[in-house]
Amino acid sequence: MLALQILITGFAISALYGRGAVGFTLIFGVSGVLNLSHGAIMVVAAVAAWASASFLGFGRYGGAAAGVLAGFLLSYATYFLVVRPIQNSRAIPRDEKEIFVLTGTLLWGIMIQEAVSYLFSNTPKTVLPLLPGVVGIFGVRTPANEIVTFAISWLVIGLLWLLVNRTRRGKTLIAAAMNPRGLTLLGFEMANIHRTVWAIYGVLAGIAGVLLGAFLGVSSDNVGTLTASAFSIVVLGGLGSVSGSLIAAYVVGYLETVTAYLVAPSVRSVPVLLLLVLVVYLRPQGLLGRR
Amino acid sequence: MLRSRNVWLGLVALLALYLLPFWVSGYVLGLLTVAYYYSVAAMAWDLLFGFAGEVNFGPSFLVGLGAYTAAMLDHYEGTPIWLCLIAGAAMAVLGGAILAVPALRLRGPYFGLVTLVAVLLLQNLLVLFSGITGGEIGLDIPDVLSVDDRTNYFYALVFMTISGGLLLGLSRSTAGLILQASGQDATEAAALGFNVAKHKLAAFCISALFSGLAGGMLIFYLGTASVGTVVDISVGVQFIIAAVLGGRRTIVGAAIGSIFLIVAGEILRPLGELSTFVVSGIALIVILFFPGGFLGALRQRGG
Amino acid sequence: MTDAPSRRLLPCAAVLAACAAVAAASASAAEPIRIGVIAEAASVAGASIPNAAQLAADEINAAGGVDGHPIEIVAYDNKSSAADSVRAFQRAVQQDHVAAVIASYISEVVLALEPWAGRLKTPLITPGAASDLITHRVHDDYDHLKYVFHGYLASTQIADAVCDAARDLLVGPLKMTTAVVLSEDAAWTIPLDAEYLNCLPKIGLKVLDHIRLAPDTADFTPVYNKIEDEKPDVIITGISHVGVQPTVQWAEQHVPIPMFGVASQATTSTFWKDTNGAANGVAFNMFSAADVAVTAKTIPFAAAFQKKYGVTPSYAGYTAYDEVYILADAFKRAGGTDADKVVTALEATDYVGTIGHIQYLGTDSPFTHGMRIGAGYISGLLVQWQDGKQVTVWPKDVAVGALSFPAFIKLPQ
Repeated sequence: MLALQILITGFAISALYGRGAVGFTLIFGVSGVLNLSHGAIMVVAAVAAWASASFLGFGRYGGAAAGVLAGFLLSYATYFLVVRPIQNSRAIPRDEKEIFVLTGTLLWGIMIQEAVSYLFSNTPKTVLPLLPGVVGIFGVRTPANEIVTFAISWLVIGLLWLLVNRTRRGKTLIAAAMNPRGLTLLGFEMANIHRTVWAIYGVLAGIAGVLLGAFLGVSSDNVGTLTASAFSIVVLGGLGSVSGSLIAAYVVGYLETVTAYLVAPSVRSVPVLLLLVLVVYLRPQGLLGRR
Repeated sequence: MLRSRNVWLGLVALLALYLLPFWVSGYVLGLLTVAYYYSVAAMAWDLLFGFAGEVNFGPSFLVGLGAYTAAMLDHYEGTPIWLCLIAGAAMAVLGGAILAVPALRLRGPYFGLVTLVAVLLLQNLLVLFSGITGGEIGLDIPDVLSVDDRTNYFYALVFMTISGGLLLGLSRSTAGLILQASGQDATEAAALGFNVAKHKLAAFCISALFSGLAGGMLIFYLGTASVGTVVDISVGVQFIIAAVLGGRRTIVGAAIGSIFLIVAGEILRPLGELSTFVVSGIALIVILFFPGGFLGALRQRGG
Repeated sequence: MTDAPSRRLLPCAAVLAACAAVAAASASAAEPIRIGVIAEAASVAGASIPNAAQLAADEINAAGGVDGHPIEIVAYDNKSSAADSVRAFQRAVQQDHVAAVIASYISEVVLALEPWAGRLKTPLITPGAASDLITHRVHDDYDHLKYVFHGYLASTQIADAVCDAARDLLVGPLKMTTAVVLSEDAAWTIPLDAEYLNCLPKIGLKVLDHIRLAPDTADFTPVYNKIEDEKPDVIITGISHVGVQPTVQWAEQHVPIPMFGVASQATTSTFWKDTNGAANGVAFNMFSAADVAVTAKTIPFAAAFQKKYGVTPSYAGYTAYDEVYILADAFKRAGGTDADKVVTALEATDYVGTIGHIQYLGTDSPFTHGMRIGAGYISGLLVQWQDGKQVTVWPKDVAVGALSFPAFIKLPQ
């Protein structure tokens, strides 16, 4: 019984972490950007879903769609307003572009956090679950929304895989991640590729944010922790590796859940942090990362 | 160097700061006191980044170590302040050295990640053992440097002047130049025969020393040490932004950036909650259009 | 604190002195008495504090002020940070020259400010923090910290209020016999939980387990599953930093055990909307509510607040409102704003506010400068969210409705 509870809860939490981390690592892998406003995009998506359902009367499905749209738009805004100007800037030396993108996205994330807090206060908001009610899985009472969450997560991952491995656009993305210069020589427009990947990222982060909002609830205070958590998972899995991030998300999710059930809920994050320390010392590139 | 116009400008500005207490209220002095302590941490960060090329995402790890060591010693043992500060600085240096070990083996964003993890670890540890550390509550400290705002102001200003002077001197010394070379092109520096690893380790420890000291002095000013004041990522972010805003690789720029951030936040106080938003916005615009920061922009104009 | 001005300033100083003299002669009667209010503007609970204080000030000024002097509220947003609060306090005293400060509902903040109230010799009252330490410190170091007053109940007292309500509502009519204590890991819950563990068995509820949550817990599923396995009749809560998330998850997961106790976030009128209605059935302690005439002043205040600000006040709003009146009364009796005289006047407070009859305890009690509780003074209410409304269900003489739980709750038969 306990084992089943752990299995189901762990799965839900891991799926949640995975969604956030995949987008984060994708953006790094292809665009070379460590987007520190990641948490902010997720929070905005969740808050937009809540606000449009509550104030604009969109209802639960309209609200969720609005949330994903918000994530998509904000992701584009991040790219065009912050990341691209820095990457194209002539005044910044090439080897320093990274730190400027980091600082820029960090500041951008803070601005978004403050704006959300100002407009909606820092009380956590919950998004209406797409499917209300509970179902019994072998005797374990599970909210129906969790099942919807698993389904959507794996659907999204499946679509992403299809996109990347079967479509031309997708294959271009992978190639771009491995050798941007080679691709330019072949005549591919890097700008187009960047736009595509930020669009995908926006949708991923938007979905992640909306589902997080439904499952756990979010507030403007979570912006930093969400980014940090995606960061940690990606470190474990290996920067730039999507499969690595997914595996790491499940490792982290289960480690936390098992600790919460078998030891105590208040120390759930300790084993993960210890694991992080070990990885950083022994295998800094993560599970599947490239050196 | 003494002939340079910028240097004279800097010295005059510094003198103005020393004369400030005769003109402004206690509250403004208090504000600047905090700004000066933050400046030292930011300058220490600039040494590491600007010169050694290492993006330290967790300057608050070092500051926090120094602050909490000093705080706990004072709270539990009643150790005299100066001894607490030395202990805090020592702890921070130790932490810096431990952090340096994985760091020196990593490239690029990985090092940044490691430093970020360090901050998260420290934060979680402090909260976990809240029985001893006070956790999110914070630890109250029986001794403070002084209750008089003017005395506090001078403590901070002198501390900043000395630290700044030392850091600046270091950055212009031979060791500093080697550091800069290692930061910009490690392979070439190594090829030239310099021990890159040794110099970067030294940079870490020095950065840690000043950060730890700044953390210790800050909490003896506030009378309380809490996770939100000295460890939280947002605190570290302020140092990074201050250094980049002021102009990286200048040391002095970090101090200017710190003072600007705190003063701007204060001037924008009537905006209430939006003040952080506006300050971050300004910082973002500055780094987009003037990546050299304030000093960089000045240099382009003045020469 | 100020040195003599240098030569260049002398003529300026002379002009200033002349202006001051003229001003003093003509307007001393209208010189305002400033009260600083430090609170968390971003949180719904904190935002009530300066708003309620302003309402009180407006009313006092409309009635002539304190011996002709108007009360001026100077508000500071501390962004939920102890460091910002310390800075705000220093500013309030040294720059804005306030006569007293009303600060925060977060224990961590108040504890950080307490030594500064002593160092800067300025009266400080809190409208919402609950830690017992606030008053224990005053008791242990009276000479330095006598400026601090606790305008809210200490955790131990709150736990006793919850136990009283549980006895009358859960043990008696519903025949409950077991409970699990669930609280967040924070300063104020340490004495709260200790008192729960002490008083619950005395009223007939056996404590099966005592769970403390990490302050940043987002996923409560393991917690609820663990509790359910232990099969208690009720979950006795001590939560303030969290509220929306555990409540939403409790409702979504159909946890069949009711929640009863302290839940600060549930006291705000936006809680229903924030949880999308999951708050239905949550029973929580308050010391005044918008629908109950705890005293003759309670409902008129809540109505006036709602009219001016559009929402009902949070629990800290009631106390902040009372505190401005208490301070005004103290200034009057002290004949001015001299800190030591004000402290003596505050200690003699005997005032009927919105939360009850307020008197402060003396050095003979471990809760020095805390409020007196019990019949005839402050006794507390138990309120429950029902269909979008906060309904007071206890004590019997002021109850507006009866306790009722959502369908997924299983009560002992």
